[in-house]
Amino acid sequence: MVLVLALGDLHIPHRAADLPAKFKSMLVPGKIQHVICTGNLCIKEVHDYLKTLCPDLHITRGEYDEETRYPETKTLTIGQFKLGLCHGHQVIPWGDLDSLAMLQRQLDVDILVTGHTHQFTAYKHEAGVVINPGSATGAYSSITYDVNPSFVLMDIDALRVVVYVYELIDGEVKVDKIDFKKTTTQSAN
Amino acid sequence: MAKNHVPDWLNNSLWSSRSPPPQQSLTPAKTSIDSEDMNRSTNSVVKSSVSTESSVNMPVPVPPPAVIRAEPRPVPPPSPKVEIIGPLNSSSSNCRSDGENGSSDSSTTTSGISSTEDISRQAQLSQELSRKIINLGEVRRLASQGIPDGPGIRAIVWKLLLGYLPTEKALWPTELAKKRPEYKQFKEELLMNPSEIARRLEKSASLENDGTGTDIEGKGVLSRSKVTQEEHPLSLGKSSIWNQFFQDTEIIEQIDRDVKRTHPDLHFFSGDTPSAKSNQDALRIILIIFAKLNPGIRYVQGMNEILAPLFYVFRNDPNEEDPAMAEADTFFCFVELLSGFRDNFCQQLDNSVVGIRSTITRLSQLLKEHDEELWRHLEVTTNVNPQFYAFRWITLLLTQEFNFPDSLLIWDTLLSDPEGPQETLLRICCAMLIIVRRRLLAGDFTSNLKLLQNYPSSNISHLLYVANKLRVKSAG
Repeated sequence: MVLVLALGDLHIPHRAADLPAKFKSMLVPGKIQHVICTGNLCIKEVHDYLKTLCPDLHITRGEYDEETRYPETKTLTIGQFKLGLCHGHQVIPWGDLDSLAMLQRQLDVDILVTGHTHQFTAYKHEAGVVINPGSATGAYSSITYDVNPSFVLMDIDALRVVVYVYELIDGEVKVDKIDFKKTTTQSAN
Repeated sequence: MAKNHVPDWLNNSLWSSRSPPPQQSLTPAKTSIDSEDMNRSTNSVVKSSVSTESSVNMPVPVPPPAVIRAEPRPVPPPSPKVEIIGPLNSSSSNCRSDGENGSSDSSTTTSGISSTEDISRQAQLSQELSRKIINLGEVRRLASQGIPDGPGIRAIVWKLLLGYLPTEKALWPTELAKKRPEYKQFKEELLMNPSEIARRLEKSASLENDGTGTDIEGKGVLSRSKVTQEEHPLSLGKSSIWNQFFQDTEIIEQIDRDVKRTHPDLHFFSGDTPSAKSNQDALRIILIIFAKLNPGIRYVQGMNEILAPLFYVFRNDPNEEDPAMAEADTFFCFVELLSGFRDNFCQQLDNSVVGIRSTITRLSQLLKEHDEELWRHLEVTTNVNPQFYAFRWITLLLTQEFNFPDSLLIWDTLLSDPEGPQETLLRICCAMLIIVRRRLLAGDFTSNLKLLQNYPSSNISHLLYVANKLRVKSAG
């Protein structure tokens, strides 16, 4: 039972001051084993804050990040799943499923987490699952102003993943969940 | 009526331990044990220890019994009843001055009872236990003199005394068949982590399959389902299983730490052997389940010490080869044993009538009744607050004051006394004080505290005899 927090596109301090208070009250250290961040934090203080949640932190570079040394993409294995991480501004058209699927095949991962569109989405296709945790602060994006703060918590348990989606809609935290299993033989390219 | 003088029965040569026997080379116990040797301490360890090296690694205070048997005893006490009337015995007074120190090398368990008596008691016990309907009073009487180390006897007697097994032997299989699966069910229910719980709930709740476990086939947006009732991992709600899980994690960590520290000198519990690890696991699981089933008291440091002897005895019962069964038995007996002593562990009850403070006060009163001079010296003159030493004595049921085999003997008496373990415990504590009275009377605060917090190993049957006498005296 491994808990993985996926979030990104915070754009602190440029477009937002901080995470919403309700999110912050839920994110306490000690519960989460890994944190993966799609990028655009943008400053070191946010990095430090995420580090307090959990020491195992993975970040990829977004176009506004002030830290230049984050990688463009990252892959990690948690339990039976391979996760891929990328900010998403590199993949054109932004947010397009087929292009993201190509990236997923390139990285050879089961779950690809990308951001940049500031909208939560979760797609599946033959090679795997693509999840976009949206923007954790609700910062405006290049595409739209109307953004609900959201992030994703994945509960990885052997061959099954339960994805909990936390969104702040009209000041209330709404939680949804998505459930999927991986078939034991790698559904391949 | 103030007792200004030391009572006569106290001046008995009985209370002095023998001076240390000449140090012979201590051969490892396992080579010199003969089967008739009824010495309780090392025998039980050797016979029943899971790994044979434990006998060699037993702490020094318990030497191999064969060595002790061989030499003549300087002050032989054949049986307590004969020597009661003896007045101050000059030889014994010499012994007493260094003897109260309880020469840790002398056998702490065999004095006072010759081996023939031991054998006869074992025979009596076995006979009693083989009846169809066991006379509990008789078992209590026999057990209070100390349970001999025959295979499995202590385990059965303790189970009877704690009420786990009924007195009618025919009912034993049904009782066990009832209780053991109950424990197994507890394990299954309470040790699941929240993911599994959520999964099982979903399986039972959803009839169709596509809500749960969509495989990665096909293409499109993944369907979302609403999360009901705050059942998500970050939930801070009180009723959320996730929240409870994370709160329990703290307790589980503490239990883990304490279990690892239990009896580091015994190979049964500590070390890297797979058996030691499985024993520690069993202890841990029992404590976790107890903590979950008792939200009022949860886990308090010290419960592991009370659990250890129980598990040791039941696990080493040759009649019961299955460790899972021993675990189940231990759990129920632990619950039973602790039910009498729960109040000691509850912090809110500390200052109440049933709490640990009042128990300590009762001990103090008991001492005052039986030995006012000592009481006055301890509490008034040297200002030794009984809480400093008695707290550990009482809450841990004397497991930390004596070495392991001795504490098993003390527990025999504790559990078998019809007055109940609480009262007996107080009497034994009082006896412990009285036995070292000479040194206490001669000491100041520091030395007294040091003595009482590191109680010298002494002759257990003496101790229990004194404790028994205290009961008679207060009744008379």
